[in-house]
Amino acid sequence: MSAIEVEGLEREFKGGLKAVDGIDLRVEPGEVYGFLGPNGAGKTTTVRMLVTLLRPTGGRATVAGFDVAKQPADVRRNIGVALQEAALDLLMTGREMMELQATLHGIAPRSVRGRAAELIERVGLAQAQNRRVGTYSGGMRRRLDLAMALIHEPSVLFLDEPTTGLDPLSRTTLWEEVRRLKNEGTTVFLTTQYLEEADQLADRLGIISGGRIVAEGTPAVLKAEVGRPHLDITLLDEGDGPGDLARAKQVLERFGGERPPSEGCHLSVTVERGAADIASVVRSLDDAGLSVASLELVQPTLDDVFIAKTGRHLEGGSSGDAPPEEPAEPEPAIAAP
Amino acid sequence: MPFVARVSLALSRRALVNAMRRPQLLLPLVLIPTLMLAANVGGLNRTTTLPGFPAVHGFLDFQLAPAMTQSLLFGGVAMGVAMALEIEAGFFSRLAVAPIPRVAIVLGRLGAASAIAVIQMLWFLSIGLIFGAHVKSGLPGLLVTFGIGIVAGVAFAALGVALALRARNASTVQGIFPLVFVSLFLSSAYFPRNLLTSPFDAIARYNPLSYIAEGMRDPIVNSLSAQPVLEGLAAAAGLAVLAVGLSVVTLRGRLDEA
Amino acid sequence: MSASIRTIRALVRRALNEIIRVPGGAIPGVLAPAIFLVGLSGVYGAASQLPGFPTGSFRSFIVPVGFLQAATFAGAATGVNLARDIEQGWFDRLIVCPAPRVTLLTGLVLSASLRALLPATALVAVAFALGVHWPGVDGLVIAYALTMGMAAATACWGISMALRFRTQQAAPLIQLAGLLATLFSTAYAPKALLAPWLRHIADVNPANFVMEGVRQGFVGGVTWEHSWQAVVAIAGLLIVLGTFAVRGMRRVGVAA
Repeated sequence: MSAIEVEGLEREFKGGLKAVDGIDLRVEPGEVYGFLGPNGAGKTTTVRMLVTLLRPTGGRATVAGFDVAKQPADVRRNIGVALQEAALDLLMTGREMMELQATLHGIAPRSVRGRAAELIERVGLAQAQNRRVGTYSGGMRRRLDLAMALIHEPSVLFLDEPTTGLDPLSRTTLWEEVRRLKNEGTTVFLTTQYLEEADQLADRLGIISGGRIVAEGTPAVLKAEVGRPHLDITLLDEGDGPGDLARAKQVLERFGGERPPSEGCHLSVTVERGAADIASVVRSLDDAGLSVASLELVQPTLDDVFIAKTGRHLEGGSSGDAPPEEPAEPEPAIAAP
Repeated sequence: MPFVARVSLALSRRALVNAMRRPQLLLPLVLIPTLMLAANVGGLNRTTTLPGFPAVHGFLDFQLAPAMTQSLLFGGVAMGVAMALEIEAGFFSRLAVAPIPRVAIVLGRLGAASAIAVIQMLWFLSIGLIFGAHVKSGLPGLLVTFGIGIVAGVAFAALGVALALRARNASTVQGIFPLVFVSLFLSSAYFPRNLLTSPFDAIARYNPLSYIAEGMRDPIVNSLSAQPVLEGLAAAAGLAVLAVGLSVVTLRGRLDEA
Repeated sequence: MSASIRTIRALVRRALNEIIRVPGGAIPGVLAPAIFLVGLSGVYGAASQLPGFPTGSFRSFIVPVGFLQAATFAGAATGVNLARDIEQGWFDRLIVCPAPRVTLLTGLVLSASLRALLPATALVAVAFALGVHWPGVDGLVIAYALTMGMAAATACWGISMALRFRTQQAAPLIQLAGLLATLFSTAYAPKALLAPWLRHIADVNPANFVMEGVRQGFVGGVTWEHSWQAVVAIAGLLIVLGTFAVRGMRRVGVAA
């Protein structure tokens, strides 16, 4: 049985806006599944449907074997959730928040304190546990949020952009925790807009744009689909620029195709075997009497994958022609009488 | 203890602690009605001599009930604002994904509201006694006043919660603040019904706040008598049942629509 | 037009934008004094039957309460909005511009005075529709002038508190001063009918002189005695509270 199974999932808001437009995916137990896409792609809407905060308007989904629409209470018993906003009560202490969460998840009263203390220790908040959450840094709040999501040892954990806004150190700490969870067998559904995060953590990725999955697979396979690594080479200028460039192109033909642009002392060439070809390239250029000033191996990125599938950059972008994640006012607020 | 009770208690405790840790939000609930009580009593104390004014020990005795009612109404708005802020900040979502009975989300709030109502009632009854109010029916009467007040406090809080769940933003809930005054002006809370100008006297007859205030007032200014007390209790309880039902239905509707 | 005048005009326009562009948010504040007039007179109207009441119309007697509410709400709103601007960082932008701080203060205070005209006018419209005595042109002019002065004084208070605490959490403190000033006066009854303790407070409450100054046209006629006392009270409030406000503005960025 898959940990998460989604077929034709849709979410349409009033006015015909389709934030999620027919998604199919499957996540196996113990897998870290990365859900990658720009702002407005439909990531958060998808997560909110899978954690039963939003009802799908089409398709079906099961989490931990339970239907999200028909068996939401069972779904909630088996999932841990850390949403995009670290929804914490700033006036409570870390310990109080953990103990409340333990109570809400039905942990026996005599076990609440112990379990809360255990998780607090695990995420490195023991020193701060009796301080109000309002005094915590962003990274500390995220760690508390994660600890709360794990209090009942869920089989499936949803992390919605867990490192957005965090400093590099906090981000790394959180990544280590995700890896640890994976080693413990927890299924993790992780949404992110950061390429490096997806690359580092995910066993498999789904790339979403405009409410649809445009690519799915392991990071390596996805990247290999769209390109090979290339070398950006700058030759030492020893007087005969055009001549040197021409000879370099000739020498490097056997490694792979030339990539534009080549001008002056710079050229770029695809290398089929990546880093394994570097030594041979340098030796060949040296044999031809050409000296290398600098050399950089550039791997295809998930951004390259995204561009190949959508024609747009992933990082720093948003789904320009897609509907927003959720409309600013999905339902009209009642006016005061 | 049944799970729903355990969770409701935990959420009540949390909401109460939350409120206590922000005294600057709690203080206006008692301070403004207290100041208005002082001004009303100081400015209009001679009105007890008007023909048709019921026999009272003092105008303060008469004015305690509207002060308490006003404070409890403010409490209801404040509870609604607190709920709306949590919805805006996302904490409500955390509760919604937890495997708890949905009704506990509302009951938790109302539990805190009833505790705050006790504090509010204690405050006004204490300052009333300190400044010379005379509770004609003694301790039993005090308890009756207390009881009606707490039930009313729960009713007002439930209305605030229902509005917060519907509107989902704090500024809309805050915007009903003037309505507190309007609803009290259109009742016999502040002044005897027979001395209200037209059409206020007619409207007051249909306003449950009239009966709630009169029910709380009667044990203070008279010996305990069945009719005003029962009417007050019935108005408070009826409003509470309606309001709690409304908030639970609104909660379900909000979670289902989502 | 001098730079200072242009700055003041810009600040006033910005303050009034809040009402024009978010009318839904402003409506409660604009209508509140009128609502209180109707409500209070509906509830306590019979009080005018008390011996010693200067008029048979309770509504006419309590109209000045509405004017003072209009003034103190507008003044308090100016303070609360400044606290918000400080919290959100917009005030820093204002402070680093070359305009003198007194000019900035003048702009804020003037915006409060002008803002008070809206609820005051709504009050007047409702009052006359409900049969309140016509105060005469002099009475009405004095009422408006004192309201604008009171709004300026309250704004100085609000600005001082906003600069002192630098957070919107100071809002209740800002609003409370206006409430106290309005309530602990001859708001509901003439001095002779007040409880002794309230009479003593009214004797020393400057807002009470302003209240009587606004009231005079509505319950009788404009007299020199009520007018000069009200003007002196406003002037005193402006001098004292204005000094606090100016000091507060000058201290910004100087204190650690």
